[in-house]
Amino acid sequence: MLSSVIALCLVVLACVELGDAATAVDVYRLIQYDLAGAPFGSRVANLNHHAVSSLSASNADLSRTVVIIPIADLDVSSIEDYIGRKQPLGGLLFLLPRILNSGNRENKQDADQSEQEIKRDKLVLLERLLLHSNIPYPVYFAYEDEHIKAVLDDVKRNDAIGQPATATTGGYKLVISTSEARKVSSPSITNIQGWLPGLKLDGDSNQIPTIAIVASYDTFGAAPALSVGSDSNGSGVVALLEIARLFSILYSNPKTRGRYNLLFGLTSGGPYNYNGTQKWLRSLDQRLRESIDYAICLNSIGSLDNELWLHVSKPPENAYIKQIFKDFSDIAGELRVKVGLKHKKINISNPRVAWEHEQFSRLRVTAATLSGLSSPSEFLENFGSLSDSRQFVSETAILRGVKLVAESLARHIYGHEGKNIQIFAENSSLAVNPSYIASWLSLLSRTPRVAPFLPKTDPFIGALRKELAEHTAEVSVQHENLDGIFTFYDSTKATLNIYQVASVTFDLLLLLVLGSYLIVLFSFLVITTRGLDDLISLFRRPPSRKVKTT
Amino acid sequence: MTMFHFLNCAILTFGPHFVYYSATPLSEYDTLGTSIKTAIVYLVTALVKLVCLATFLKVSDSENFDPYQELLKASIGFVDVAGLYFALTQLTHRNISQNHKFQAVGLGWAFADSVLHRLAPLWVGARGLEFTWEYVLQGLEANANLVLCISLAALGSLMWLRKNKPKTLIPIIYLCAGIVATMPSITSYLRRGMGWKLPEVVGFQLLASLVIAFISWQLFAACQRPSF
Repeated sequence: MLSSVIALCLVVLACVELGDAATAVDVYRLIQYDLAGAPFGSRVANLNHHAVSSLSASNADLSRTVVIIPIADLDVSSIEDYIGRKQPLGGLLFLLPRILNSGNRENKQDADQSEQEIKRDKLVLLERLLLHSNIPYPVYFAYEDEHIKAVLDDVKRNDAIGQPATATTGGYKLVISTSEARKVSSPSITNIQGWLPGLKLDGDSNQIPTIAIVASYDTFGAAPALSVGSDSNGSGVVALLEIARLFSILYSNPKTRGRYNLLFGLTSGGPYNYNGTQKWLRSLDQRLRESIDYAICLNSIGSLDNELWLHVSKPPENAYIKQIFKDFSDIAGELRVKVGLKHKKINISNPRVAWEHEQFSRLRVTAATLSGLSSPSEFLENFGSLSDSRQFVSETAILRGVKLVAESLARHIYGHEGKNIQIFAENSSLAVNPSYIASWLSLLSRTPRVAPFLPKTDPFIGALRKELAEHTAEVSVQHENLDGIFTFYDSTKATLNIYQVASVTFDLLLLLVLGSYLIVLFSFLVITTRGLDDLISLFRRPPSRKVKTT
Repeated sequence: MTMFHFLNCAILTFGPHFVYYSATPLSEYDTLGTSIKTAIVYLVTALVKLVCLATFLKVSDSENFDPYQELLKASIGFVDVAGLYFALTQLTHRNISQNHKFQAVGLGWAFADSVLHRLAPLWVGARGLEFTWEYVLQGLEANANLVLCISLAALGSLMWLRKNKPKTLIPIIYLCAGIVATMPSITSYLRRGMGWKLPEVVGFQLLASLVIAFISWQLFAACQRPSF
């Protein structure tokens, strides 16, 4: 009976997951998507290969190895070359500098700024390359830490010697076992709208005008699970929430309630030609849409350059545009910020929408985008790239942006144009709240927000909705399907197990040593217990028997 | 590859038992039955030991060496000796000489011990991708344990089965048997009290087992002489 119990135990133990890796690291996969049927990104999720430290390791079979590349040592052109030549590779693992990890807060602020800038440039180049190529092997990102650094040092040392991996010299095997990536079925985008009604005088039958403040909140980047977009467009979302909070205080009192309705829109689908903004605008009531006096879109206002740009699609001579720009530049002068005006005509036949306000302009609504960027980005770029993390966003810049927008809106609403009145002065009850901005910014910097991987019921969307509901009278949430040319694939996050493994040669050698040990033991025992002659006869007997039988 | 490593470790752990059985006259006298019976006695003893440990021992949270607890553990360890005594004296064996009897008993005892304590960790651990020396060392430990078990059985057979042994040797026999029986406690002390690493402990065990094997062999030979 006991033996059957033991057998049962053994069967159970054999089924136990073998999770005893030396190191387990969180890794984030390169995005995989189809654009109008054409495949892009990393097409494979599973990984089970040995590690090497550079693409030029000549003695290794690269199609069966993973190349680990820290961003600091990255040479983008060599990778571009390699991908361009379509050579086989087991996989790629990029190590991101720890400073980019928004989760860890004890970063040294005095990190060498220029060096960081170089890394950022490299990351931007790398991301552009990876996003627009079709890569038939797994590509992962991970943050540097002590374990993975130790592994990399070992691997580098081996590569330098040029020896194949063995147990004694430290061969490493990287294993990521996930299910193959599946298509995300019908990716949805969610727009959140808040409505703060203005004061309507009795007997005034005309509809009062509306001002819209809009920010797109979703992101897109090389690694969907890392695409937090602190600046693009976390900063815009934070600014919008703070502006909503400030005006909700003003509008809660009938005496200070303005004669304008305020419409707040948190739109999704920004990276995809502002698809969500388009759908949101189309779904708005015709009368409401026509009542919109102008719309201000907030985009990437978190970088600390003393320059902001007002992007418009109507010519600057237009009276409305002139008015908006004058409001902004007046206040900018007081805040010692430079605001420039940039005009870019829209081309209706071109599906590409570079700025969010262009969706408004297409529907003949006056709109402008306030942005820290001086020129539009390329398609799918600059929406929460890898380098767009909390470290590179300044709260002061957002604070300034909030003040700029809120103050200009207030002067427009209350008719104080041209007068030097500070409504949101510091130390007043209407002052901009830095801790509110900081807390929302840190939440946004921790939450990846790539729309297809953000389900309708995601707590983050719930949180945005709740926050907007607190500051506005009416909140509505709109779910839409993302337009069909995109297909996304899941498994954006996985765990990498790093095993130190022995080579086959080593195992063979061990077998040889053990075999000879047993033979020596056998001979020793035979000689001591039966004598040498017995041992010799042991080897002689079989042939003699054969002779007898024949 | 990993299956290969598992096989290597299994060979190291269990191979010597088979080699011992086939190389010595044990195989010629068909002592397999004795070994199997001993293995069953070992299983029962292990069960009794477990019950005792569970009853008397506190669960220690720390990895520290607690002398009182260790003393208790060592005394429970003497249950092993009782089991061995039972296997040597009470089991009815087909008429095989004392010489072969203690070897068969020791072999069965060590084999059961290896299977019970080492097979499962080996199966789970050595098949993993990660390479460690741990299972090779564990195999070496099994070898040392085999030598110790046979030595203990030899000393036991001297103590309980042989009547006419030289009076001067009796205290030495008992001393040696005591040392061998407390070997698990000694290694546990080295590992936890002194902070020795596994390779050092295994080295010590191998060395100790060789020394004890030599001593018990000499004792056995010394007791053999007057009977002839």
